Amino acid sequence: MKRKLISAIGVAGMMISLAACGGDNGDNGDGGDKAGADGYAGQTLTVWVMDGSSPDQWQKDVQAAFEKKTKAKVKFEVQQWNGIQQKLTTALSEENPPDVFEIGNTQTPAYAKTGGLADLADLKTEIGADWTASLNESSIYDGKQYAAPWYFANRVVLYNKKIWAEAGIKDTPKTRDEFYADLKQIGEKTDAEPIYLPGQNWYHFVGLTIGEGAELVKKDGDKYVSNLADPKIGAAMETYKKFQALSKAPKDKDEATPQQGEVFGKGDVGAFIGMGWEAGIAIKANPKIEKEIGYFTIPGATADKPEGVFLGGSNLAVAAGSQKQELAKEFLKIALSDQYEGELAKLNGVIPNKESLQTNLKGNVVAEAAAPAAAGGGTTPLIPEWAAVENAPNPVKTYMTAVLNGKSPAEAAKQVEDEFNKRLSQQQ
Amino acid sequence: MKRSLFGRLWPNVTAVVLFIGFVFPVYWMFSTAFKPTGDIISENPVWFPTDITFEHFKKATGVDHFWTYVTNSLIVTLCAVGLSLAVALAGSFALARMRFKGRRGFVIGFMVAQMAPWEVMIIAMYMIVRDASMLNSLVPLTVFYMMMILPFTILTLRGFVAAVPRELEEAAMVDGCGRAQAFRKVILPLLAPGLMSTSLFGFITAWNEFPLVLVLNKEAEAQTLPLWLSSFQTAFGNDWGATMAASSLFAVPILILFVFLQRKAVSGLTAGAVKG
Amino acid sequence: MTVQTERPPSGPVDVTKRDESGPARPRPRAAFRAGALTPYLLLLPACAATVLLLGWPLVKDVLLSFQNLNMAQLIQHVTEWNGVDNYKEVLTGEDFWRVTLRSILFTAVNVALIMVAGALVGLLLARLGKRMRVLLLVGLVLAWAMPVVAATTVYQWLFAQRFGVVNWVLDRLGWHSMADYSWTSSQMSTFFVVTVLIVWMSIPFVAINLYAATTTIPSELYEAASLDGAGGWKSFTTVTLPFLRPFLYATTFLEIIWVFKAFVQVFTINGGGPDRLTEILPVYAYIEGVGNQHYGMGAAIAVLTILILLGLTAYYLRIVLKQEEDEL
Repeated sequence: MKRKLISAIGVAGMMISLAACGGDNGDNGDGGDKAGADGYAGQTLTVWVMDGSSPDQWQKDVQAAFEKKTKAKVKFEVQQWNGIQQKLTTALSEENPPDVFEIGNTQTPAYAKTGGLADLADLKTEIGADWTASLNESSIYDGKQYAAPWYFANRVVLYNKKIWAEAGIKDTPKTRDEFYADLKQIGEKTDAEPIYLPGQNWYHFVGLTIGEGAELVKKDGDKYVSNLADPKIGAAMETYKKFQALSKAPKDKDEATPQQGEVFGKGDVGAFIGMGWEAGIAIKANPKIEKEIGYFTIPGATADKPEGVFLGGSNLAVAAGSQKQELAKEFLKIALSDQYEGELAKLNGVIPNKESLQTNLKGNVVAEAAAPAAAGGGTTPLIPEWAAVENAPNPVKTYMTAVLNGKSPAEAAKQVEDEFNKRLSQQQ
Repeated sequence: MKRSLFGRLWPNVTAVVLFIGFVFPVYWMFSTAFKPTGDIISENPVWFPTDITFEHFKKATGVDHFWTYVTNSLIVTLCAVGLSLAVALAGSFALARMRFKGRRGFVIGFMVAQMAPWEVMIIAMYMIVRDASMLNSLVPLTVFYMMMILPFTILTLRGFVAAVPRELEEAAMVDGCGRAQAFRKVILPLLAPGLMSTSLFGFITAWNEFPLVLVLNKEAEAQTLPLWLSSFQTAFGNDWGATMAASSLFAVPILILFVFLQRKAVSGLTAGAVKG
Repeated sequence: MTVQTERPPSGPVDVTKRDESGPARPRPRAAFRAGALTPYLLLLPACAATVLLLGWPLVKDVLLSFQNLNMAQLIQHVTEWNGVDNYKEVLTGEDFWRVTLRSILFTAVNVALIMVAGALVGLLLARLGKRMRVLLLVGLVLAWAMPVVAATTVYQWLFAQRFGVVNWVLDRLGWHSMADYSWTSSQMSTFFVVTVLIVWMSIPFVAINLYAATTTIPSELYEAASLDGAGGWKSFTTVTLPFLRPFLYATTFLEIIWVFKAFVQVFTINGGGPDRLTEILPVYAYIEGVGNQHYGMGAAIAVLTILILLGLTAYYLRIVLKQEEDEL
């Protein structure tokens, strides 16, 4: 008796869900993707972009161009880096994934391997012949093109001119030691915090390891294992620690919690290491700071070679499960066209995906500060296994905090090795 | 009378100390929210705000979709509580008043259900909802929240039903009321305080939930206030003024409801006690 | 004030029992003949909801725990059975056992603190004059009513490294090394903050209900005890405590469940860090499963978590089982 009734409820429940299915299909049923006489009128393309990566102006312009050409609408949805992998993975498994999304270059190989990204071979032939090969590397997996390179950037020092002047410093530093001495001087002569460097700005740390010529992972037989115990990594960490000691920032937080731009915007921080666009966050928090912000290349050990930097970047990918493949490609053709790729480079001071567009960076203070270091830049290992390492709690971050709290680099490396290796060998 | 001065004093002193201990975090939340930033990040805490500012509240409510979150939270919470009360009332009446085979099993079953650690089952729930094509909807949220509070509601209401004197019910039935009518006319009014206190618990639970809505609803149109509060905290982690303003806004409905329902519940109870 | 409102199930049940044993006993059974099916029909919606909304996810979770389910499988909707591999990996690893032990200790410490402090506050309430009692009740209700998400945020601010009021006070009290102390930097200090938060949030429930329960103790019992020559302590142990016992059991049971599942508090304060040292079972399951996108593994940990929670509360469930038996 009871069982019968329960199953009746179950059926009722199913009918509700079926009804919901019907509703959904109505919106974007098959065939909706084909361009009719009216173009793609009535459709809406969803595009995920990361927080801060594309300026409002660019979004507005691309939107206008896209709507003009295709008659379809585009909806930009801004995502936070924090927890993005979990969000993206689940989203890609859904019926209505974001059609186009920005994806970090270090995370691209892992997602390419999952089958969640659409093959963009034809797009590459059509518009990607002159993409810079080194920047396109992360988008290729197993010989196939799974994403399109969008923009690349490396970190610079953003500093508060007023505070530096107050401390009596005239020129920006050219070597690591000068940089340190300047910051020291700010600490002594002003009330300001010389540098805001939280303990887990791990992209900067990766840059330092690249500067030391170190690798984060090494091959052990046919699998990858941690290489954090390498003394070169330890040396990079010591450099980080020396600078971090000048900051009152928490040792166990990264640069996004809180946004270091927000902190800098308050006007009592001498400098921070970040992306050029982070200046925008500071200005949003405090418009008056705009004229005080200056930029310079992160100085290296010697004046002739800037610090190693992490060449962060983002690709644009199309979800394999998107029902608007054609429209998504139309979007990519517009967003990555010389006009808008150039505009993005110009507005944000980021490195565009083609050599020929680099002219857009002329006169851009951020880009000019970033450019000298870019040549010596690198990335985290471009292997599918890597994405798991970046999941919270990221063992590299744990390693950094451990050293900053007094462990020796070797001890700290040992402490996180198991976790690191476990993630690298995680079943896929 | 017989107690010494010390004997009379210490309970009062302890009470004052405890009062301060319990109230301080709440007070600090509100006072921070109204203080200008300069007073918040000052080397010496400003205990009593003198300059009042609403700037932080403006920032907190100025977020896109703020009012959507408010509406969604209210809809989901109220529906979940309402549904769970309706379902629980029937069940608790059976459990408290009737004898039948398997009653014990039901009671234990609900007790076990009350222990369900929902946070760890999130991915299973996600896959069920995803495969039913009901993501980004308030319906699954409502029914799952209803389920989260149902066992507690049933078990607690059962106590309240049991506490209503049978004689009253029987008297009503003797007067010619049917069982259902007796329930409606006699038991239900006496249950009012019970209904209120359980709905309070349910309201708090549903109002607070965020791990599930985080996974189920990616679209802002279907998100709720806890997500707003937690994302706010990530983005403006050190802007304590704005974060506290957001927390205050989030807490106020519950605080008001609590004070309101508490009083109602008490008057109901005393009334019930007199009659009983 | 709040009195019986949130009173856990067993209290009022006792009241019924007493009623039944009274003169109402030989009451005609007419009222119960309404039809043998009625109770089942009344329970049907609740049972259906439980089966559909709790049973189904539970079964699904058990199924997932026997699968190799990671990013690729989730995205492509592939089911890859891998037998008991997940369980083998979890149970043979050190992590799980360490987290389990930590969870149990964490629960034990918190519940003990809550119950002892809550009971003391409750007894204090009974002893206070009216005005002071209302004052303290107001404080308790405010703390009780704070939504957990807001409360964790407030505690982060109270214990903030810079400009946090706790560090300032400690500094002023002569503890200068605490002036810029980061509470999230070590395992014990993180647990300290979480524990203060949980105890602060939970005491009101215990205290207010305990106070309410004491008001229902018939004064004749105390009079009888004092006639027998019992002093304050004696009458507490012979009258108050036995009377409150079922209530204390029920509250402890609820607190064990709530503390054991304190996911939001632990996760929000420090994400289970530093170095995964403050992960309790639900947080561990979440980080392994959702965080590391090792969903099958997370499901296996979830199943084990549920079993452990059942084990922890088995004693109480047995008591209830017995009690219900007596009633029938």
